[in-house]
Amino acid sequence: MGLFNRICTAIFDVLLAPFGHGRPWFDLVLWPLVGGILALLVIKAVSNQAGITRAKNFIQVHLLEVVLFRDDLRTVLPATVKSLGYNVLYLGYNIVPMVIMFVPMTAILVQLVSNYAYAPLPVGSTALVVAKLDADVGGVTPADVKLDLPEGVSLDAPPVRTPDGEVAWRLRLDAPGDHVLTLHAGAATETKTLAVGGEPRKVSVLRTKSWEALLYPAEAVPSAESPFEEISIQARKDQAMPFFPDGESGILGWFFGVSLLAGFLLKDLFGVTL
Amino acid sequence: MRRPSSFAPILALAALGASALALSCSQEHHVDHAGIFILGVDGMDPVILQRLMDQGKAPNFKKLAADGGFENLGTSNPPQSPVAWSNFVTGMDPGGHGIYDFVHRDPKTYLPISSATPPPGDPGTSVKVGGYYLPIIAGDDILNNRSGTPWWDVLYGAGVDVEVYRVPGNYPVTASEAKTLSGMGTVDMRGGYGVYTWITDKPPVTLPGHELKGDVQLVTVEDFDLDGKGDTVKALIKGAPDLFHLPPGEAPHDSDYLTVPLTVSIDPDAPTALLTVGDEKVLLREGEWSDWVKVSFDALPHGAMALGGAVRFYAKELRPGFKLYVSPVNLDAEDSPQPISTPDDFAPDLAEALGGQFYSQGMPEETNALKDGTFDDDDYVKQVALVQHDAESMLGVALARFQRGDATFFYLSDVDLQCHMLWRHGDPKYADAPHHPAWEEGAAAKHAMDIEGYYENVDRLVGNLRARLPEDTLLLVMSDHGFQPYTREVHLNSWLRDHGYLTLKDGKRTGKIVLGDVDWSKTQAYALGFNALYINEQGREAQGIVPKADVPALEDKLSADLLGFTDPAAPDKHVVLRMFKGAEIYHGARAGDAPDLVVGYDKGFGHSDASTLGEIVEPEIEDNTSRWSGNHLMAPEVVPGVLLSNHKLGGGDPNLTDVTATVLAWYGLAPLPEMIGKPVFTP
Repeated sequence: MGLFNRICTAIFDVLLAPFGHGRPWFDLVLWPLVGGILALLVIKAVSNQAGITRAKNFIQVHLLEVVLFRDDLRTVLPATVKSLGYNVLYLGYNIVPMVIMFVPMTAILVQLVSNYAYAPLPVGSTALVVAKLDADVGGVTPADVKLDLPEGVSLDAPPVRTPDGEVAWRLRLDAPGDHVLTLHAGAATETKTLAVGGEPRKVSVLRTKSWEALLYPAEAVPSAESPFEEISIQARKDQAMPFFPDGESGILGWFFGVSLLAGFLLKDLFGVTL
Repeated sequence: MRRPSSFAPILALAALGASALALSCSQEHHVDHAGIFILGVDGMDPVILQRLMDQGKAPNFKKLAADGGFENLGTSNPPQSPVAWSNFVTGMDPGGHGIYDFVHRDPKTYLPISSATPPPGDPGTSVKVGGYYLPIIAGDDILNNRSGTPWWDVLYGAGVDVEVYRVPGNYPVTASEAKTLSGMGTVDMRGGYGVYTWITDKPPVTLPGHELKGDVQLVTVEDFDLDGKGDTVKALIKGAPDLFHLPPGEAPHDSDYLTVPLTVSIDPDAPTALLTVGDEKVLLREGEWSDWVKVSFDALPHGAMALGGAVRFYAKELRPGFKLYVSPVNLDAEDSPQPISTPDDFAPDLAEALGGQFYSQGMPEETNALKDGTFDDDDYVKQVALVQHDAESMLGVALARFQRGDATFFYLSDVDLQCHMLWRHGDPKYADAPHHPAWEEGAAAKHAMDIEGYYENVDRLVGNLRARLPEDTLLLVMSDHGFQPYTREVHLNSWLRDHGYLTLKDGKRTGKIVLGDVDWSKTQAYALGFNALYINEQGREAQGIVPKADVPALEDKLSADLLGFTDPAAPDKHVVLRMFKGAEIYHGARAGDAPDLVVGYDKGFGHSDASTLGEIVEPEIEDNTSRWSGNHLMAPEVVPGVLLSNHKLGGGDPNLTDVTATVLAWYGLAPLPEMIGKPVFTP
C-alpha cells in the first residue's frame, strides 16, 4: 500500500498542476477526459462488443414490446422479464473492463482529491489535530504522547487524552507554511504536515495505517511498528469546480460526470459500443 | 462526418448557458433612484435613547436626529413584537393582517394556539409499513397566518431590489420574489422557539416557582480507564420529531425525536474536553463556547433522508461537576430542512458570505437558560455577544450587497431581549426607581449598565451605516415599541375568578384551561394570550353561555371593573390604564378574529406567563421575581417606539403603518388600498 502510494504520488506530482494549484480546471478537465478515453480503449479491447450490441438491441426490442402491447399482460410480463435479463447480461459484459479500470481510475481520482479537495487552513484560525494510538502495538498510553510544535504554530488549549487511546490538540496557526508537527510516543516519533495559509497546494489531512491510506496518499503510511494508528487534522474543504460540492464529493461527482460525458461523446470516434 | 455531431451537444449546452446568463442579467432589479435602508431595533425606547443622546453616549443617534429627525413612533395595540412588526410589514392593523398576539385561543377547544403559525387543518394520511408511517396523501402546509401584502413585494413589483433580514413574523417565509430571511418565530429543529439541552451530573437548582424550559439530561461521568477520575459522558442531542414513526397530526412525546449521540471525553488532568458528534470533533476548555457544529439527523435509515442542523456547545463546568450546554438545534442555514428564506438559496448565500452557519433560530438569545437559572448573567452576556457578533457580521454582508436604489431592512433583537432580561439590575429609564423584585446584589453591581452598553453598540452600528451607505440613501432607524419595568405580574384569570367572571369546577380555586378545569357553564370571560380577553359567547365558543346581545354590556362592565383594579401593595396605583374593545379598534378583513377586549396595563404591570396560557393560580397579583424583568405588553401609549431619519420628519405622531407608507412613497408608490398609514414626510 505504501509503495503503491509512493509510486502514484511520484508520477502525479510531476503530471499534476502544471499551472499551479490555483487553477484546478486544467487537471479537472484533462484527467477525467483521459479517464474516459482510457475506459473506451479498455472496453474496446476486453469487452464483448458484439455481445453488448446484441444485449442492447434485445433490451430495446423488449421495451418496445412493453410499450406497444401495454394492454396485454401476457405479452408485457415476459417482455419485462426478458428486458431485465438482458440488462443483467449487459452489465455482465461490462464487469471485466470495469474491474480493469478500477485501479487506474481510482489512482487518478485519489490524486486529484489529494491535490484539489482541501485548502490550507487560514492563518489566525485554529486546527484540531488528533492522534490515535494503535492498540495492537501497545506499550504506550495517551499520557506518553508529546507534541513538538514548529515555529508558526502554538498550542491553543491543553490537550485532551481520551480513555480509548486518542490525544487531541487545538493549535493556533500563527504563520503560513507547511509546518511539520512532531509527535512522540515513548521512543517512537512520527510527523504530520500542516498546511497553513499561502497559495493553494496539496494538503494532507490524514496519515493512517488502515486501508484508508489508499485514499490519502499525500504522506507516508506509518510503519507497522509505529504506536500511532493514525494522525488527522481537521480539514478545510475547497470547492474545486463551481456548482459542485466542496471537498471529495465535488471532485468525485465532477470526475465521473466528465468521464462519462467524454466516453459517450467520443464512443463513436473510437468505434466503441457502450 | 461524425466529429461535428459529437461536439453538437457541447455547443448546445454552451448556447443554453449563454442564454441563461443573458436572461438572468436582464431580470436583475435595479432602479435609478436613491435607495432606502431601514434598521429595525426591537424594543428601542425613546426616553432611554434621548437620555443617552443628552449624556453624549449616543453621538451617532444625536447627529442623525439633528440631520433629520427623531420622534416617538406609535406602536401597535397590543404592543407585542409580532403584532407591531406585522403592522409595519403590511401597513395594516391586526384587523387586516390577523396577528393579534403571540398566542390566541381556538374557540372550539379553548386551547391556546400559536398566532403566527396555527396548526394545519389536515395532517395528511399515512400507511404504516414495517414500523414506518409513509405519507400517501400530503396534509396541509403550516402557513404564515399573516394576511396582506408585505411592502417588499410592492417594491419588488416596481423593480426595486429588496432584501429583508429577519423581520419578525416572517416565518414561515411568505412566497416572494424579494430576498427575505425569516426572523422571530423561526423554529429550531424540534419545531419550537428554541429548546436548549443541559447535560449535567446533578439536577439543576432552579429558581423558585419556575418551570424548566430547557431539556435536562442527567448523566454519569463514567471512568472507562479506571484511573479513579471520570472521563467520559455519553448523551443525546435531540433533533426533529421522528415523523416517520408518528401517526399524522400526533404531537411528539419526549421519546419521539430523532437523536444523535454525543460523546464527551474529559482529560484526566487539564480542564479540557473533546466533544464528538457524528464526524465532528470539538476541543473545549472549561468556560469556552464552541463555534457552530453541524449535526445530521437520519429520518430514514442509512442517510436516505438526513435533516441538517447546527449547535453550539458551552462547557460551563467539566470538573468536579459536569455542566454542558447545547444550544437549540438551529436549522442548517446552508441546507435547511425547511425554507427559511426567499428564494431558497438566499440563506445559503448568506451563510457562504459569512463563512458558515449563523443563528437561524428566531430568538437566538438564550433567555430560557437565564430564566431557568442554569445560566447566570455572565453566561448569558457571553452568549449574547455571540449573537451580536453574528448579527453584526450579517449587517456587514447586507451593507456590502446594498447598492444605490436598493431597499434593505435589517433587524436587531438584542436591545429588546436585554431589556427583558437585565432590567432588574438597574432601571435604565427611571433613575429613582426602587430595586426590582428580581434584583440580585452581586450581579447588579456588574450588569447594571449593560442595557446602556447595548444601546451604545447600536449607536456605533448607526455610525458605520451612515459612513458606508450611498450619500443619498434614506436611512430610517425604527423600533416596534419601547420599554417599561415589569415589577408586578397580574394573573388575570385569577382576577376574573375572584370577580365572578370565571368559575372552576368542583369549587377549586386553581387549575388550567388546558386541563379542563374551568366550568364553562358558569364562566363569562377568560384570558388567553398576553393582552387578550375573550367573552364566553354563545354560538361562538364551544360551551358559550353569554348571548351575543349581552356581549357589549358585559364588555363595558368588565372594562369598568378592570379600570378600577388597584394594586393591593400600592392602593393608589391602577393596574390597568386603558381597556379596548376589539370591535372598535381594529379594521379590515380579519377583524372578526380579534379578541373581545384588549387589556392595556399601566407601566410596571403585565400579564403573568401562567395566565397567558390559561392557568388560574391563587393570587391575582404578585411581585415579578422572574429574570424576565422589563416588558412592553402594556397600554400602547406607555411604550412608544422610536423613529429616526436622515430626512426631515413631518411630525404628526407617526405610527408603524405610517412608516410602511413612507417606504412606498420614497419610490413614488401609493399605498395599497388596504393600507392605513400616511407617509411621515413628502419625499
